[in-house]
Amino acid sequence: MFTFIIRRVLYSIPVILVASFVLFWAVRSTFDPLAKLRQAQDPTAVAREIERLGLDRSILEQYFLWLRSFVTGDWGTSSRTGSPVLQLIGEALWPTIQLAFWGLLVAVIVAGLVSVYSAVRRYSLGDNLLTGAAYLGIAMPAFWFGLILIQTFAVWPKQQFGLAEPPLYFIGLHSPGQDGFDLDYIRHLVLPVAALMIALVATWSRFGRAAMLDAMSSDYVRTARAKGVPRRQIIWRHAVRNSLAPFVTVVALDAAVLIGGLVVTEQIFAIPGMGRLFLDSLVAGDVFVLLPWMIVVAIAVVICNLLADIGYALLDPRVRLR
Amino acid sequence: MQRSQVSQPQRRRLVRAAAVLIATLTVAAVSACSATSVKPTDTPNASVTDGGELVIGAEQEPDCADWIATCAGSIWGSYIMQVPTMPVAFETRLVDDVWTPVASDLLSEEPEAVMQGDKQVITYRLNPEAVWSDGTSITSADFAYTAKQIRDSDDIFDKTGYTGIESIETPDPQTAIVTLGSSYAGWRSLFSVYGVLPAHLLEGNDRAAIMKDGYDFSGGPWKIESWNRGTSVTLVPNENYWGEKPHLDKVTFMFLPDTAAAFQALKSGQVDALYPSAQLDALKQIEAGLPGISSSIDARSGNLEALWFNNSVAPFDSKAVRTAIAYSLDRDAIVKRLFGELGIDSAQQSFNTPIVGAFGSDDFSEYTIDLDQVDEIMTEDGWKRNADGVWAKDGETASFTLETLAGNKRRDLTVQVIQSQLQEAGFEMDIKSVTPADLFGTIAPEGDFQAGLWAIVDTFPEPTLSASFSSTNIPSEANGYSGINFFRADIPELDGLLAQVDNELDQDARVAASVEADHVIAEEVPSIPIDTVPNVLLWSQKVGGPLSINPVEGPFWNLAAWGLAG
Repeated sequence: MFTFIIRRVLYSIPVILVASFVLFWAVRSTFDPLAKLRQAQDPTAVAREIERLGLDRSILEQYFLWLRSFVTGDWGTSSRTGSPVLQLIGEALWPTIQLAFWGLLVAVIVAGLVSVYSAVRRYSLGDNLLTGAAYLGIAMPAFWFGLILIQTFAVWPKQQFGLAEPPLYFIGLHSPGQDGFDLDYIRHLVLPVAALMIALVATWSRFGRAAMLDAMSSDYVRTARAKGVPRRQIIWRHAVRNSLAPFVTVVALDAAVLIGGLVVTEQIFAIPGMGRLFLDSLVAGDVFVLLPWMIVVAIAVVICNLLADIGYALLDPRVRLR
Repeated sequence: MQRSQVSQPQRRRLVRAAAVLIATLTVAAVSACSATSVKPTDTPNASVTDGGELVIGAEQEPDCADWIATCAGSIWGSYIMQVPTMPVAFETRLVDDVWTPVASDLLSEEPEAVMQGDKQVITYRLNPEAVWSDGTSITSADFAYTAKQIRDSDDIFDKTGYTGIESIETPDPQTAIVTLGSSYAGWRSLFSVYGVLPAHLLEGNDRAAIMKDGYDFSGGPWKIESWNRGTSVTLVPNENYWGEKPHLDKVTFMFLPDTAAAFQALKSGQVDALYPSAQLDALKQIEAGLPGISSSIDARSGNLEALWFNNSVAPFDSKAVRTAIAYSLDRDAIVKRLFGELGIDSAQQSFNTPIVGAFGSDDFSEYTIDLDQVDEIMTEDGWKRNADGVWAKDGETASFTLETLAGNKRRDLTVQVIQSQLQEAGFEMDIKSVTPADLFGTIAPEGDFQAGLWAIVDTFPEPTLSASFSSTNIPSEANGYSGINFFRADIPELDGLLAQVDNELDQDARVAASVEADHVIAEEVPSIPIDTVPNVLLWSQKVGGPLSINPVEGPFWNLAAWGLAG
């Protein structure tokens, strides 16, 4: 297993390098790093930055210049805020990781339960209702669902019952001056997590249902049934475990996307995460943040792929031998 | 200076020196040039109790709090941190219904500004009671430090006015004597737009590092207690403030970038007030009704949207085409479509925004939609309609591309209406969306456009048209693309008048020159003003105090007087 992990890690390094070069080339081709500086109309400052960033050199030279700084922890300074990029991304990662963690956790549990129920009660009324709900969840835009949640669980109860404050909050992860894991945090977390997980549950439950049905119709399940193994044991010990491998792969890949893909959720719920940072930087043309941001997301994708491989290998020992 | 070109409400003090003395105090209100002014729709509850907290939604987070640096471009930074904490020489106040720079209580008397030969000497006498939040007096050394930082440092947002400072004498702690190399009518903006920095805390230290993420000093009624990036800014009273102290114990500005969620936050009581920009989604929310929410709407802003022409390229190098387009547009209809529900239905008739309305005229009011006039002007100039109904001359059609800024739905709607109106008049217009960085960084300075729709913002009540229309401010390779006459307006008669506006000491003559400049602009039509974007303030029943919008300092200019409704 250790060798398997090492091999996968080593495979990841060239992938990250190639991805970083492609991203570097794409960003440099699309954005002018000195666009904001040019607005200040200071030719001396522009010339100084061209020299510092090596913008008069070939793209390959520029890339290696940038890569050297990046791997040594010098990620540069945001042209928008003047703050170190490493600090900005570090600050933005934490709220996103919290949101992604809770969203994934709840989505995995709910999607898992829905998958098992739908597969075991195939074509039942419950299965059909859940199937319909899943399609609805897939079709609903995240921003719309987020606003519906806000209206239903925050604004409406407050107005309808004349409450002093809404039962659930939807601005940030804490009230002003509050911190830590407490009731205030939970009241802030419920709505964004719900908005985030709906599409995940909708997709994963369909995927999980198919995997479960596949497992339920396999030879080993039929054998277990023939041997008189209790139904519950067949479902949870044999079918669920064997349907987990493809499920884990999908979850891991989606988790990677969440690191950079929570733009809408973070925007609506005013959470200062990676999505907000990307949007703000994009609008400002802050190439000094955009590039490291993309690299971090690319690394997250590679890591999640790695975790998926490891998870797959843990669930199916045959994988380690390939 | 105080005029800039922006996509979102960004602070723009720009470019050219606005000229001579502005003793505008006596100038009669000439509001005819401004769009309809909508008075506050609700009367705030003026009775407040002491203590308590308010949470206010802010739609933009400032990038940094080093107010003189290039990163401090967000107007929201000015609203929520700079105005409440930085002492200034002049404040903008409504005097006889005219927005006017008025000496603040940082000064013990109105500064003297006199010409000594070719030089202008300004003497500031400071209020001996004025102190920083640590109890240290605000002195002439602070003025000297501030001026030198702006004049001599790199990475400064705008040095207009400060580059002309030859010397600053500080004969005593309460007297600062500033000598300018030549006359500068906009001298009241000095130490007013940026404020005054504390020399005893910053001199010899890295100013940017100390200030950019928020600072713990203050010379205003509030102090910054915290700035949690991405989340909120919290202000608490400055106990050492020498003026009227705040009623509230704390004010928190929460950053709410999503307009729909911000309105829900107001309705649910998570925030107590909002100052949304007049975008379509915000206007729809207001039109739909907000139970329990009061509002103040004022069209007299400094935020002017216009149809800008590049006068150096076809087809806008032709005065006939520019004039014909002015007669092709129903600008009142555009404004009514955008802001009619707020009671605003008149187009802006001058490039002098309402906050400098005293210097403007309403000459553009002669341009109302008149397609017969369009036909006559174009035909006289040798144009004929082709098979597609588009004007053509010498093998060229009256077709052009209009550059607008991506992501602004209200402006998208505006350009679509313009496109439709121009099509009926025989002009073919394509629309191209660009980013602010590209537009103001390269496209506009290099003149690589035919037409555009964007806003210019006055951030101090001084006329600034020379920045936009004087030929000396045309950016070029030779001058390093400095200047914001992106429109390449080159009208000798206008240059003289605008120079007079910038330098004339006699106030009546200055106003007369400005009004005459407006006549010339309307005659030559180098571009066409469309509208001023109204300001909207919304608040819940929890909020009390004399709430009103100051178009220069923002809606929180008198936050110290706000409180919980009593």
